[in-house]
Amino acid sequence: MNYQLLFQKAKDKGIEDIQIYQTNNGNFDITVFNGELEKYAISDSSRLKIKGLYNGKMGTVNTEINNDDMIDFIVDGIIASANAIDSEDEVFIYEGDDHYKEVEGLYNDSLETVDAKEKINATLNLEKQVKSIDKRIQMVQAFYGEATTNVLLKNSKGLTLEKKVNSGVYGVYAIASDGTDQRTGVEYIQSNDYNDFDFEKIAKEASKTALDMLGAKAIPSGEYEVVLKNTASAALLAAHGSMFSAESVQKDVSLLKDKVGDKIASSNITLVDDPFKKASTKSGAFDDEGVATKYKEIIDSGNLTGYLHNLKTAKKDNTESTGNGFNNGISTTNFYFKPGELAYDDAVKSMKKGLVITDLQGTHAGTDAVSGDFSLQALGYLVEDGKITRPVALITAAGNYLDLLKDVTDVCDDLKFNFGFIGSPSLKIKKLSISGD
Amino acid sequence: MLDKNLIKTVLDRALSTNGDFAELFMEDTVKTSVAMISSKVETASSNRLFGVGIRIARNYHTVYGYTNNIDKDSLLQLADDLAQSFLGKSQDIEFELGELQEGNDHHIEVLPVDVPMEDKVDMLRRANKVAREYNDEVTQVNVRLVDSVQNVWIANSEGTYIKDRRVHVRMPIAVVAANETTKQTGFYGPGGHIGYEFFKKHVSVEEAAKEAARIAIVNLHAEECPSGKMPVVIDNGFGGVIFHEACGHSLEATSVARKMSVFTDKIGEQIASPLVTAIDDGTIPNGWGSQSFNDEGERQRKRVLIQDGVLKSYMVDKINSRRMDGEHTGSGRRQSYKFAPTSRMSNTYIANGKSTFEEIIQNTKYGLYAKKMGGGSVNPATGDFNFSVGEGYMIRDGKIAEAVRGATLVGTGADILKKIDMVGNNLLREQGMCGSASGSIPADVGQPTIRVSEITVGGRKGAN
Repeated sequence: MNYQLLFQKAKDKGIEDIQIYQTNNGNFDITVFNGELEKYAISDSSRLKIKGLYNGKMGTVNTEINNDDMIDFIVDGIIASANAIDSEDEVFIYEGDDHYKEVEGLYNDSLETVDAKEKINATLNLEKQVKSIDKRIQMVQAFYGEATTNVLLKNSKGLTLEKKVNSGVYGVYAIASDGTDQRTGVEYIQSNDYNDFDFEKIAKEASKTALDMLGAKAIPSGEYEVVLKNTASAALLAAHGSMFSAESVQKDVSLLKDKVGDKIASSNITLVDDPFKKASTKSGAFDDEGVATKYKEIIDSGNLTGYLHNLKTAKKDNTESTGNGFNNGISTTNFYFKPGELAYDDAVKSMKKGLVITDLQGTHAGTDAVSGDFSLQALGYLVEDGKITRPVALITAAGNYLDLLKDVTDVCDDLKFNFGFIGSPSLKIKKLSISGD
Repeated sequence: MLDKNLIKTVLDRALSTNGDFAELFMEDTVKTSVAMISSKVETASSNRLFGVGIRIARNYHTVYGYTNNIDKDSLLQLADDLAQSFLGKSQDIEFELGELQEGNDHHIEVLPVDVPMEDKVDMLRRANKVAREYNDEVTQVNVRLVDSVQNVWIANSEGTYIKDRRVHVRMPIAVVAANETTKQTGFYGPGGHIGYEFFKKHVSVEEAAKEAARIAIVNLHAEECPSGKMPVVIDNGFGGVIFHEACGHSLEATSVARKMSVFTDKIGEQIASPLVTAIDDGTIPNGWGSQSFNDEGERQRKRVLIQDGVLKSYMVDKINSRRMDGEHTGSGRRQSYKFAPTSRMSNTYIANGKSTFEEIIQNTKYGLYAKKMGGGSVNPATGDFNFSVGEGYMIRDGKIAEAVRGATLVGTGADILKKIDMVGNNLLREQGMCGSASGSIPADVGQPTIRVSEITVGGRKGAN
C-alpha cells in the first residue's frame, strides 16, 4: 500500500494523525510421528494495524489485505470506529523518542543457514532418540517450528521504526505407559541461535517427565509445604500478568490498586520486565505505539515499584509510558522472577513433608487475575524426609496469588522460560491448600 | 473469489508430484468488536481477514501452506513449494470442479453489516445499565459485542466446490462485584450462528446482563469451597463442558488416530454409565457450533458418540480417516485459512434422561451443586481433566445450601463417565470457544442436570 497516499486521504477526511503497524510473517512448521514426517507447513502472511485520531478519539482498523484499494475502507473504518468511542481518556499518536536501544540478537541468521531437509532429519532423529531411552516410551511426537517477523511502524508525525525478529523451537511430546498407567511429558527449547538446540537435553527431560510420573496417585487433602517448579511457577505468573497493568488498575480490576511502594511479596522476590532479552520474540527497542522500551523491576525485593503503562494510561496517571503498549492495550515483554541461589535439589531436601508441583493445568480457567484466587489441577511428587517418594496426580492446589508471593520462603537458581518470554526459578512456598483423597 | 479455472490450475499444480489429494481453502472474513468499560465505549474496531490455504496429502501425510497474496503467480509458487515435499511422479489424478454449491442451512435475518454502530452502542449501554443497577456492589462492567461474517470457498481434487457463509454474533459480559475483602467476577456470554435477531428472539441484552451481575454478586457473598471427594450435581447448559473436556476431546481423531486416546479401539464397548447418551450435532439450526458445510467442504452432520453408555463413533476428519482405515464423520473444522483442518467438535451434548432437577437434588445428602461451570482443559493421553466452577452451592440433606466459590473439579474422563448416576430431563446448550490443533472455533456444550457419584473437588477452604 502507498502509505503516503493513505496518510493524505486520511488528512483530507479530517483524521488528525494516523499510524500504521505492518507485520510480515514467514512460518515453517514440521511434526514427526512414528518415524515419518506427518505435518509440513509453510506460510507467508501480512497484517496491517491502523489507528487514527479523529475528533480526539482513536479509531482502529486491522486488515490482511494490503493494497491501495483498501484505503477508503481503512479511512471510513477509522472514522466510524472513532465516532463510536465516548471514553474521555486523552489519546494521541506518538512523535517518537530521541533514542532507541540497539537490541542485539533479535534476528540470528543461523536458522536460515540450516536447510529444511536438515531440520526434518534433526526432528526425525529427535523422535528416535526419545524412543530409545526407555521401552515404556510408547508414543512420541517431535516438532520444529520457525517464524520470522518483519515489523514496520510509520506515522504521520514522521516516525518510522523497523525491526526483524526470528525464532525457532524444537520439542517433543512423549507418552509413557507401564500397561496400567499412561503419562505424558513435553519439553522444548526455543531460540534463534541454532547452536542452542540441545537435542539430548530435550529428549532426556521429556522422557523423564513422562516416566517419573507413571503410577501417580492423589495424596490426602491438607496444607502442604511446596516447591513450585520453575515452569509451573512461570505458568501461574503468566495468568496474573494483567494485575500489573495500569489499565487494570485504572479500571479498578487489579488487586494492586494503591499499592505502589507497598510490600506485596516476600523480600526475596524481584519481578522483571526486560524487553532486551536475547532470542525472544517479545524483545525489541519499541512497542506498538512507537515508545522506546525499557528494563524495569516491577517488584523490587518484595516492593511494588509501579505499573506497566502505555501512552493512554500514562497520560491519565500523569507519568510516562513504560513502553508496554501492545495490541491496543498493555502487555508484558519478557517477564520473570530473578533467580536466587538455592539449588532445586537442596530445596527438595529441605522439606520434611512436602510436595513438589511440577505442572499446573488449566491456568486459563482456574485462575482469576481480578481476585487473585486460583484452584488448579496439579502434578508433582510427594517429598518425605527430604526425599521424593512417589509421583502425585489428580489433586488441586488452591490459594491466592498475592498470598503465595508473600509465602515464598526461598528462591532457586534455576530460572527457566516458557515460550522464551515468561520465566521463573523454582519457588519454595510455606503452604498451599491441596485437595486430593 | 478466485476464478474457477485458476483454482483448478492451482490444484493440478499441487498434484504435480506424488500427492493423492489437494484442497484449496479461501477465506474473506469481516469481524467487528465494540467494547464498553467504565460505562464508556472504550474501543471499536473492524478486522478484515483474508487469505488462501492449500493442503496436499498422500495417504495420511499432509503438507499445508497459506498466504494472503492471491495473484496467480503467488498461488502457483505456494503449490509448487508444497508439492516439492512429496517426491516421485504425479499420480495423474483427473477431476473436474462441479457447479459451486452454496450452504444455506442456517437462516440469517439481520446481518452485522446492516446494524448501525449507534444501535450496537445502544445495546452496550442497555446491558451496562442493567448490570450496574442490579446491585450496589457491582463496581465494574465490561460488555462487548462481537460479530463476524466468515465467507469460505473450498475446492478439492475430489471435485468438491462449495461456498459457505458463517455469521456469528455474541455478547460477552463480565461483571465485577466488590466489598472490603474481595473482588469477584460473574460472566455470561450468549451467542449463536445467527444474525442480530438473536437478541430479539433468544436472549435479550437485559437478561444477559442481569445473569452476569447475578453470578458476580453470588460469588462475592460465597464462602470458600471445601475440598475433597464428594458427589457433584452439575447443572444443565455450560455444565456440559465436563463432557466436552473430559470425553469429547478424547473422541476426536486427532488423538484416536494416533492411538493416543484412552478411548482408542473401544468402539462397541461400554465406556459410560448406561444412563449416558452423547451426541455431536453440527446441523442444529443456528447453533453456535453449526455449519452448512464443514471446513473440508463436507456437509455437517449429527453423530451419536455414545448410546446408552456404549461407544458408537469417534469424530473423524478426512485425513485422519485414512490413518484409521475408516470413514470420516464430517468433523473437519478450522479457525481460519491459517490452520489445516482436523477433527473437532461442533455442538456436543449429553441427551436428556428421566430424572427431574428436584429429584436429583433431593437424592443427594451431601455434595456440591455446580450451577455454572467455567472453562477447563484435558490431557487427551491420560484423560486427566480440570475445570473451574463459576457458581456453586453446597448440598446438605437434599437441599441447596450456602454458596461456595473457587472450586475446581479434577478427574479422568473414563472414570467420570462411569460415575454418572443420575441424568436430568432439562437439556440446555450454551456457547463456548474451543481451542485445539486447528485453532479456536465456536462450539456449543450442553447437557441436562447430571449427578456424578464422586469427583475430587479442590477449594481453598480445605478438607471438611
